[in-house]
Amino acid sequence: MLQQRNEKAFSYLYDNYSGALYGIVNAVVTDKEVANDVLQNVFINIWRKIESYDASKGRLFTWMLNIARNAAIDELRSKGYNNALKNISLPEINEIEGAVTGPAIDDVGLKKVIGKLKGELRVLVDMSYFQGFTHEEIARSLDIPLGTVKTRIRSALTQLRTMIQ
Amino acid sequence: MNIQEYISSGITESYVLGLASDEERREFEKICAQYPEVLQARIAFELALEKQALENAINPTTELKDRIFERIGSTGKIVPLQDTSIKNTQPGALLWLKYAAAACVVLLAGSLYMNITLSNKNKKLKGSYDNTLAELNEVKKDIRVLQQNPNIKMASMKGMDISPKSYATVYWDTASHDVYLLANNLPAPPNDKQYQLWALLDGKPIDLGMLNYDLKQKKLLVRMKNAQGAEAFAITLENKGGNPTPQGAMYVMGKL
Repeated sequence: MLQQRNEKAFSYLYDNYSGALYGIVNAVVTDKEVANDVLQNVFINIWRKIESYDASKGRLFTWMLNIARNAAIDELRSKGYNNALKNISLPEINEIEGAVTGPAIDDVGLKKVIGKLKGELRVLVDMSYFQGFTHEEIARSLDIPLGTVKTRIRSALTQLRTMIQ
Repeated sequence: MNIQEYISSGITESYVLGLASDEERREFEKICAQYPEVLQARIAFELALEKQALENAINPTTELKDRIFERIGSTGKIVPLQDTSIKNTQPGALLWLKYAAAACVVLLAGSLYMNITLSNKNKKLKGSYDNTLAELNEVKKDIRVLQQNPNIKMASMKGMDISPKSYATVYWDTASHDVYLLANNLPAPPNDKQYQLWALLDGKPIDLGMLNYDLKQKKLLVRMKNAQGAEAFAITLENKGGNPTPQGAMYVMGKL
């Protein structure tokens, strides 16, 4: 039904999921006006690309969530992507135990959950998920081996899973 | 491969959250199709993530919804917009992805255009089909009424020498005296002429009215003037508006 671009169905989709997607957008871009623009682009993209959604690869919400996150990260990157990298200081990374003052993590949603991760893992997930850095970029900027970045992020994600389930 | 280990390696979460590399994605999709337990793990995490996201929803303003739906419009028109959903994860692939994205947008535009054009054509065809069907049903109804009516008499009027292929049918209700004409096949008359139907009784012609030969609004079955009595029916080609007695050539004639 959605794939036939039924506007009523789309309206239903919006009513049910815009809040959840807006949540993720707001976790990435902090400016309200920018977040509004991003959400608008997200829904226009969902509307335009609904035919390419493949149910065998994941739930519709997962698909929409990734569109939302990607759109937000693209927005973030278009506004001083290089600066963002410099803002992360290494000492934070080296603290492995206990509470750390990592990059600003809001007290909402998935960010709140990630905030419960141990210092280094939290930084890695934040860089990777909320700032969209590739594993290679993270490895380069933090000067740790690519393999280590990968395993630590994977480990953080499995912890994340137990936290939200 | 140890599937449990694979599941708990964090790949499921990495895949769902969009953090896996292209290679990992392909592998995961393959394994997912093969092992139901991997699929289950994926869906379970997706549901947990969805629940979490819904619980932490931030509702946008209603103005934003109006704005979005205004952009989308009711026809699915193309809105010029930067493509934002394809994200570069491999730096080397950026250029390629840009071209691919551009190609996708062009293809999408083409496909949408075709969609709209075809849908409009379809609507037109559907309209003319509906009209034809409605006409046909009306005629069928008329004919059924005629067939079920025991008082109806039918006269098949065959073509005369002047036009052997012509053919028309008269249905005459002997009780109500209603006359219906079915012009099965009559050549198009010249602009200044018109067909006229006659009932023949005791050798005398009685005017039953003119036949409007309008191709666009041609009704198959036409109600004519009532006939109190008739032995036969005939159609002649007369000057426009008709004559009190037949002057022109007779095209068809048939007895009851």
